[in-house]
Amino acid sequence: MVFSSISFLYYFLAVFLGLYFIVPKKFKNSILLVSSLLFYFYGEPSYILIMLLSIVSGYLHGLWIDYKRNTPSAKVALISSIVVSGGFLLFFKYTNFFIKNINQIFSFKIPSLEIVMPIGISFYTFQILSYVIDVYRGDAKVQKNILNFATYVALFPQLIAGPIVRYTTIENELESRTHSLEKAAYGVWRFVIGLSKKVIFANSLGEICKIISKSDESSVFYYWMAAVLFALQIYYDFSGYSDMAIGLGRIFGFHFLENFNYPFISKSITEFWRRWHMSLGTWFRDYVYIPMGGNRVSKLKWVRNILVVWFLTGFWHGAEWNFIVWGLYFALLLALEKLFIKKLLDKTPDIFKHLYVFFFITVSFVIFNANSMGEAIGNIKGMFGLQGVPLITTEALYYARSYFIFFIIALIGATPIPAIVMKKISSIKAGEYLINIGKPATVLMLLLVVTGYLIDGSFNPFLYFRF
Amino acid sequence: MKQKISNAITVTVFFLVIYGLLIANLISPDKAISYSERRELAKAPEFSYEELLDGEWLKGYEKYFLDQFVLRDKFRGLKAFTNYYLFREKDNNGIYVVDGVIYKIEYPLNEKSVLNAAKKLNEVYDKYLTGKRVSYAIIPDKNYFTAEEHGYLALDYDKMLEIMKSNVKNMTYIDLFEHLEIDDYYKTDIHWSQDKIVDIADLILSGFGQDKYASWDTYEEKSLYPFYGSYYGQSALNLKPDTIVYLTNDALEKAVVYDHIDKTYSRVYMEEFFGGVDSYDFFMSGAKSLLTVTNPNAKTDRELIIFRDSFGSSIAPLLLKGYSKVTLVDLRYLRTDILDNYLDFSVDCDVLFLYNTLILNNSYMLK
Repeated sequence: MVFSSISFLYYFLAVFLGLYFIVPKKFKNSILLVSSLLFYFYGEPSYILIMLLSIVSGYLHGLWIDYKRNTPSAKVALISSIVVSGGFLLFFKYTNFFIKNINQIFSFKIPSLEIVMPIGISFYTFQILSYVIDVYRGDAKVQKNILNFATYVALFPQLIAGPIVRYTTIENELESRTHSLEKAAYGVWRFVIGLSKKVIFANSLGEICKIISKSDESSVFYYWMAAVLFALQIYYDFSGYSDMAIGLGRIFGFHFLENFNYPFISKSITEFWRRWHMSLGTWFRDYVYIPMGGNRVSKLKWVRNILVVWFLTGFWHGAEWNFIVWGLYFALLLALEKLFIKKLLDKTPDIFKHLYVFFFITVSFVIFNANSMGEAIGNIKGMFGLQGVPLITTEALYYARSYFIFFIIALIGATPIPAIVMKKISSIKAGEYLINIGKPATVLMLLLVVTGYLIDGSFNPFLYFRF
Repeated sequence: MKQKISNAITVTVFFLVIYGLLIANLISPDKAISYSERRELAKAPEFSYEELLDGEWLKGYEKYFLDQFVLRDKFRGLKAFTNYYLFREKDNNGIYVVDGVIYKIEYPLNEKSVLNAAKKLNEVYDKYLTGKRVSYAIIPDKNYFTAEEHGYLALDYDKMLEIMKSNVKNMTYIDLFEHLEIDDYYKTDIHWSQDKIVDIADLILSGFGQDKYASWDTYEEKSLYPFYGSYYGQSALNLKPDTIVYLTNDALEKAVVYDHIDKTYSRVYMEEFFGGVDSYDFFMSGAKSLLTVTNPNAKTDRELIIFRDSFGSSIAPLLLKGYSKVTLVDLRYLRTDILDNYLDFSVDCDVLFLYNTLILNNSYMLK
């Protein structure tokens, strides 16, 4: 099940929101857990068992670590947990990738396994790993109530698409959280905005990208249009989903951390990765990069650390070589930026910094979106006029004209401009009044429009589902 | 308005919408057909344990929720409105409107398909029609008249005609492009309007020399309203539906239509189909593989065979006056190699291939 679906909005959410607020406090986590398991079962009936096994493993390992604290057994428990959780992830997500590559290298004929990657496994595995590591480090208290722990892992707002919520973030709120009209209103607002970002913008951008990819009329302009629109699509898709998760979490009394912070206004690649998918970036920083020494090591080891983290980041996104190349692409850029480019960037006007980021990010998403490295290289060549195609065609011009206003609105929406404008308006009394009327009216209008889009459209994929 | 009140209204609005639509969906009865979309709507799937585990049962329910959503057409209209008027997109799912007429983009030209169509015509000729009087005509789709002028994507019609004229052998080409205009078509449908194509029918008859055998020269105009054409539902806009104006007379009312496949008899104009999923089925019962309509007042024994698409259903009654029988063959449903199981090609007859440009651009459906 996805948030942006009729079954979720008008059946699942309606029922479970109601139940959640009706039941007494002591049953609220149970309602969350049951609804989360049903939510997962709806989308992945046959693999719910894997998630449950992962939850039980994380829970038991947490107890073991806590019981054997300050003994070598605690480390054994930690390693065991990493092996079990990581093992599930490796098996379901990467087995066929390894088989394919072993066959290619050694000319073996090992058959691929008929396994489907369980939805959300990359997210909930990382959550469980962060929990056991934090318990081991003493940063988090062990959760002795398996239902509470299961609720944390399976919590449907962030289960299948993040953000990767650290246990420490909601540790206290799991046991005791408050609900208020203010939180509910904020949650509703965030959820509806996220829903609109996903359904109105991401899905529409995806449709244009699909038109371009199916077209027989390639052109340099079309290659760039596809690249830029895909970058916007994935932003709206993922950040929209994060907004919905944060919004729903708030309605239930949880404070999830932000996952996106207007990444397209970045003035460097380093800054971009502090604004994009922040929960993943900080996860790798805290559990891989810093334990390896971070940047407090020799230059050579620092480069090694960067390569390992970004290899893993790319690989986490998908079991294909283009994702690994995508990760290493950023490793190279970030290393070069730290060593040389930053000094140069500091001396240039902001416009060039933005263009620099725009260029490299756009190219990175071309690699990310490709089905193979061959396709990625072909698309990049196309962007630079190396595919022998014309600069522009009738069809490209038509769609550029048709979607121009939509594109401008999407571009502005990806910047802090709307938030800044709202803040300025609300700083004056009349403006505050307008905002207070405007918000509920906007919620109503967006809900109805989104419903129209959902009913009319059959094109409603979530890009990060493959993770 | 104070923040607290605003928060209360925001939350209330949200819950009202969520619960209001939930209740509305639960109490509204399921619909079997969407007349605006001209299709059957999904029913609630039957439970099966296997389908539950492989996700198909839940997917079926998702489709059911979407199809049966209350005020479905109004919500689709909201999306269309947003796309056209807020985002100023030129089309919505390929549908666009100019001066109240609905169009659907067809692009690009599929040259291989057009060539395939030409080969199909030649194949039928070579197999069955040697020595007969054969003509072919191409009906332009509505985009021909409007698309380029208004900045929409359009087929390269010149190229299409060039391919057909260069490759179709042994047949006379009847040019319909210069005799048609956009007002000859329905506003909400792909087809032409029967009352506007009498001159087209006469052009074809005179091309075969059969106009001198016309067994009638007058018609009575009758109309049926409202006609929600094939594009009406796709546009999701609140436009005025069409009126089917059809031409009839005593002979056409008495003419009998024989379905060779179902072995049943019917009439030229089937009132019972008007108001159904596709009201255009009113003409000759719609999509049928092989029909023969007999002229009760024929002044000649000569017969006409039309290899046709759906446009043929509305022009065939106007061609009937020049022949004793008109047979309509739809190669989208009937294979070329078995035609002689049903038709006697030894009978001397005229043959017309009549296809619209959309069929030629997607000709692999011709069997």
